[in-house]
Amino acid sequence: MIRPFINRINPFRKKWKRRSPHLWITGGLPVAFFFISVLLTAFEIRHPEPFVLDYPANFGSRFSIPADNPTTQEGVYLGRMLFYEPMLSADNSISCAGCHQQKLAFTDGKKFSDGIHGALTSRNAMSLANLLWVRQYFWDGRASSLEEQAAFPLTDPHEMGQSLEESVRKLQATDAYPPLFKQAFGSDRITGSMLVKALAQFQRTLISSNAPYDRYLAGRYVPNEQELRGMTLFERNPDPQQNIRGANCTHCHGGPKMYKELFHNNGLDIQTADAGRSDITAQSADHGRFRVPTLRNILLTAPYMHDGRFATIEEVLDHYSDHVQPSENLSSFIKGNSNQTGGTQLSLTISEKQDIIAFLGMLTDSVFINNPEFSNPHNAQ
Amino acid sequence: MTMQNLIVRTFILLIPFLAANLHVSAQSEATLSVSGEVITPLNLSVDDLKKLPQITCKTKDRDDKENEFGGVTLIELLQKAGVTTGKDLRGENLVKYVLITAADGYQVLYSLPEIDPEYTDQRVMLAIEKNGKPLPANEGPFRIIAPNDKRPARWIREVRSIKIAFVKE
Repeated sequence: MIRPFINRINPFRKKWKRRSPHLWITGGLPVAFFFISVLLTAFEIRHPEPFVLDYPANFGSRFSIPADNPTTQEGVYLGRMLFYEPMLSADNSISCAGCHQQKLAFTDGKKFSDGIHGALTSRNAMSLANLLWVRQYFWDGRASSLEEQAAFPLTDPHEMGQSLEESVRKLQATDAYPPLFKQAFGSDRITGSMLVKALAQFQRTLISSNAPYDRYLAGRYVPNEQELRGMTLFERNPDPQQNIRGANCTHCHGGPKMYKELFHNNGLDIQTADAGRSDITAQSADHGRFRVPTLRNILLTAPYMHDGRFATIEEVLDHYSDHVQPSENLSSFIKGNSNQTGGTQLSLTISEKQDIIAFLGMLTDSVFINNPEFSNPHNAQ
Repeated sequence: MTMQNLIVRTFILLIPFLAANLHVSAQSEATLSVSGEVITPLNLSVDDLKKLPQITCKTKDRDDKENEFGGVTLIELLQKAGVTTGKDLRGENLVKYVLITAADGYQVLYSLPEIDPEYTDQRVMLAIEKNGKPLPANEGPFRIIAPNDKRPARWIREVRSIKIAFVKE
């Protein structure tokens, strides 16, 4: 059986050798096509373009970007599509943007947020700004990366209530998403990991650095008198014996970013119902401690505190000035911080509170809340 | 009732018990960890620290009042963990740092020669007592005292962890 086969080949090879040059060309064409198409395919699998993160030098570069999820233009665009994608909720009714609206510095103006089927979240929706510099996410600091963070609201039954597997299944069935995942991550077989990575990439681009306060630090904004008085109070430690009035907000909220990575008990209650950070650390000293949130865009992000108990910024100032409760874990930076000798409350005057609020207005970044790069990309299509 | 419904309901019923469990574990004793570039990672309680040689240090705090702090030298603790100190503190070990993290997330950093008695006369201390009493809540149970630091910003309170690491540059 083998011999005849070889015999059949041999004549073929002889014939091949005897072919005319014009037959060479016609025979070579399919081969050439094959190579060209291989080259073209190789060209298609190009690497995503790095996304250049633009921020002022005084913010520093202590970023929290995992080595396996560099920020790329394709990843950021996909993340932005997903951020505004209601398909990621169990009943297709809400997206991340439902509770994180750009015009409100990515909050929703509500005490607690609406999840699917009328469920309410247990804590106030946090503003999303300058997350690139945060290392422990949520009010209790439970997640150590934005990738890890994303899975919570997506799957929590009081929020979007859908497993990552189901979200992946829905996205895979669309025409639009598989190619976007391929561009961002090199494969159109979507995974839950790619989903949270893309969301994290988009959120890292939400940089707020164009408030009047930023321009003031850069020497391009001159505060009015009230703003200046507020800034002085904000930054200064009260010392009644030296006749120095202050609020020392900056101890926990200061710096060019107006954010420090801290967790404190700010005396909201003598005994807090919400354990806060101690749920994560299992240390009783952390009971009732919560993240010290960013003050960026603070006038846009009412209501305030982890439970949204204060409807207005005036109520917040009243709390710190006059109503701090002597809770067991009260921050030592609040305890005994007073404008009166031996006082237990900060005790600011009404006009001092107004001055501080005027200064807080310098932290409103209208460029950030109107930046088209952060808006709903589905509307643009 | 579907199976899914049953699972969800069972989970909801279980929530109070899970929460109660969390509350119990929240009562655990405060400890201090020493980790990173060490031979022996440590997890120490106040009682463990009391077994080490004790020192005291009189110094003025933020409130300008003189206090007597008691505790152990930080170098003692690092030696116990097997950190490169003394004759081993040379070469690449000089680019190791000591990152100290407090309960509230506040972090400060020392270089090893700032702590090592072969390099400095300053005795950086891990205090557990103030004026003969355990450090109060919001300050203790562990606090760093660095007498040569004129501004006490690195006198970090409520220390939870000490990590030794190499600079990656």
